Amino acid sequence: MSQAAAVAAGRPPFWRDVRILRVLWQIVFSVAVIVIGREIYLNLAFGVKQQGVDLSWSFLNSQAGFSIKEGLDYSRADSIARALIVAGFNTIRIAAVGIVLASLLGLVIGVARLSRNWLVRKIAQAYVDLFRNTPVVIILLFLYFGVVYSLPRVEEGSIFDVAFVSLRGTAFPWPRTDAGAGVWGSCLLAALVIAWLVRRWRTRINEATGKPHYRFLWSFGVFLALALASYFVIGSPMKMDVPQRAGLRFTGGVQLSAEYFGLLVGLTLYTSAFIGEIIRGSILAVQKGQKEAGEALGLTPFQQLRFVVLPQAMRIAIPPINSQYQNLLKNSSLGLFVAYPELVGVGRTVINQEGRFTQVLVIWMLSYLAMTLSISTVMNGVNRLVAYRGARR
Amino acid sequence: MDRPRDPDDVTAFRAQEGAAVEVAPHKEPTTRREWIKENLFSTPFSGILTVLSAAFILYFGYGFLHWIFVGGEWQIVKGSLRSYMIGRFPFEEAWRVWVGFFLVAALGGLSWGVLEKRIAWSLRRIISTALVAVAGVGLLFYLIESGRVWVLLGSLIATYFGMMWFGKVVGRRLEKVVALGWLLIYPAVVLILVGFGGPSPRRWDGLLLNVMVGSIGIVASFPIGLLLALGRRSSFPAIRTFCVGFIELIRGVPLVTLIISAIFLLPLLLPPQWELNLVIRLTIVFTIFSAAYVAEIVRGGLQGVHQGQYEAAKALGLPTWRMTAFVILPQALRNTIPAMISHFISVWKDTSLLSASQANDLLDAARRSAASLDFIGHSKEAYFAAGLIFWVVAISLGRWSQRVEKRVGVGER
Repeated sequence: MSQAAAVAAGRPPFWRDVRILRVLWQIVFSVAVIVIGREIYLNLAFGVKQQGVDLSWSFLNSQAGFSIKEGLDYSRADSIARALIVAGFNTIRIAAVGIVLASLLGLVIGVARLSRNWLVRKIAQAYVDLFRNTPVVIILLFLYFGVVYSLPRVEEGSIFDVAFVSLRGTAFPWPRTDAGAGVWGSCLLAALVIAWLVRRWRTRINEATGKPHYRFLWSFGVFLALALASYFVIGSPMKMDVPQRAGLRFTGGVQLSAEYFGLLVGLTLYTSAFIGEIIRGSILAVQKGQKEAGEALGLTPFQQLRFVVLPQAMRIAIPPINSQYQNLLKNSSLGLFVAYPELVGVGRTVINQEGRFTQVLVIWMLSYLAMTLSISTVMNGVNRLVAYRGARR
Repeated sequence: MDRPRDPDDVTAFRAQEGAAVEVAPHKEPTTRREWIKENLFSTPFSGILTVLSAAFILYFGYGFLHWIFVGGEWQIVKGSLRSYMIGRFPFEEAWRVWVGFFLVAALGGLSWGVLEKRIAWSLRRIISTALVAVAGVGLLFYLIESGRVWVLLGSLIATYFGMMWFGKVVGRRLEKVVALGWLLIYPAVVLILVGFGGPSPRRWDGLLLNVMVGSIGIVASFPIGLLLALGRRSSFPAIRTFCVGFIELIRGVPLVTLIISAIFLLPLLLPPQWELNLVIRLTIVFTIFSAAYVAEIVRGGLQGVHQGQYEAAKALGLPTWRMTAFVILPQALRNTIPAMISHFISVWKDTSLLSASQANDLLDAARRSAASLDFIGHSKEAYFAAGLIFWVVAISLGRWSQRVEKRVGVGER
């Protein structure tokens, strides 16, 4: 059939028919992917046969034999699976604390970048320029070998004999539960409920009369008073656990290894510079008219920030902050360079020892995917909370 | 319904308000004293902040300067300068690196001369440029003793400014030449390094390795990322699923794990007869890694193109590929320039992770020099030097990108 005839019949030739082309192109693409995939698979199979690569998972049950001096209980005699779980926990431990610290520091940096004080502004800018443009691994190594290694020895690094900062790690006091802690816990819950009721009461007064509600001060004060009162009535259910030096180690309190300390500080400094820039950008992105409207209503500068600018800036800031949190999580894998036993470092040891890199790679991918997805889920929830009411999502 | 105005009402209003609220327009500080008051001591809180910040600067500034000029053991850097720069790249082949430098300097100078407007030399800019120049020259005077290197450096700078002058004289006619030059310079430099009996890429070491892997990765990842982004927005489910899966998989894992898989996994997946060396495998990994991120940036740009543009192109009867290439992409890519440059900066910083494999990059050279028995307790200096090199490149790229953004006018249309 000639082209002219096809047009006359009202049908384009098949090589110009979008419906057919659509299917055709997808088939071509799929075939290409399958061919390449098959080639890769064959190479892998060849490697498996040739080099004795083992694809089974039984190695997880064998004895690990290497030590991990960090986190959950673990000994050399435990299985490799247990070692990887301990490592995963260490990753979460550093990422979670790092995210909190980096957010706080980032907020400070972001606000300082917009300060009316020239000196504060310049310091914040220098901070951002310094840490954003240096590779995070170099910050880590500098901190770990340069700063942590120049900390005092165990015998000398005490702060009023309460906290310790030393080469062998950092230790500081931490509250521990004592007798009656359960009762106090339920008292705290009750106090929380009462505080919430007080808050509602203040809100209602404000709505009815227009008087200032001071609901935060009220509810917080009530909560604090109840908590303290019940604390003393029960008779100190919590005790400060003060670390003690025992030879070259510490007992009690919370102890952080030098590796953890260095990695945490490095990740926090690096990520906070990025978060600071995001916060600065999103505050600037809120229309100037909004602040001016707040000013016209007679709000104080703090109130303008708290009630007008920040709620709107949050909406802009949360998606990029989400990706910074994921970056921090992924950057925690640089514990590899400072011998902090997290997922990648321990996985690397397993690879060196057992040679099962395909399996370890799968474990890495799945664990990081799970962790980044959880961060994303939480942040998307927060995003929904701060989004415009009734806004299209 | 225009009610007649009652003049009494107005006076009543005025009387009620009392004296008119007079808000003086904000006066810019003129004298130095006023400036200090306004910017450092406007409120008591601000005053406290100023004092605290000044104490902070004095404390750390003194510590830092003392370390730089008195306390630091810089022999650790000076002694292993060559291993920082080219590592075990054969010394008798180092001329190849210099030729590469000269090519880049010539092209850089030419494009500066052709494209850049005349710089307005404010006092501030003069001072900051002079400070940077003095610091740089001072550093070089400390580090470099070989007269040969000085001659080469001098002629490098002369080439740069010579080409700049040439570009200025000839002017905009050379724009196409410059664009073509940047397109060709990567293959040209690689050819000079490897071709004509040059050492294999396996011998690239030190800073050379970072620069080569980073820049090849960036350039090669751009077209791949572009295709991935288009694939992700394709209406064909098979293509879309593949692209989404690929992008998310790569973006979901830390770069270090990909680098480690370049050692172990990649040789297993590629045909065994290829026998790629580690450096090439690492370049492949960096390309793939960067492509996934480029894809997301381009996707952002594509989303910014108005629906009407697609419709207009279709109404003109353009086939899909022409619509994409001539209508959609030019608009989308223009919007991605800032994000793209900051991505390139982060790829540059990420090349510091190369030593997670057995590659001997700049960081590895720093680590080896720090491990030397002569300099126990001075690893700070080694890492500082490595960090400084990364930092200088990254911050210059950042500053340059700000200029480009201003010139192209991103965000103004």
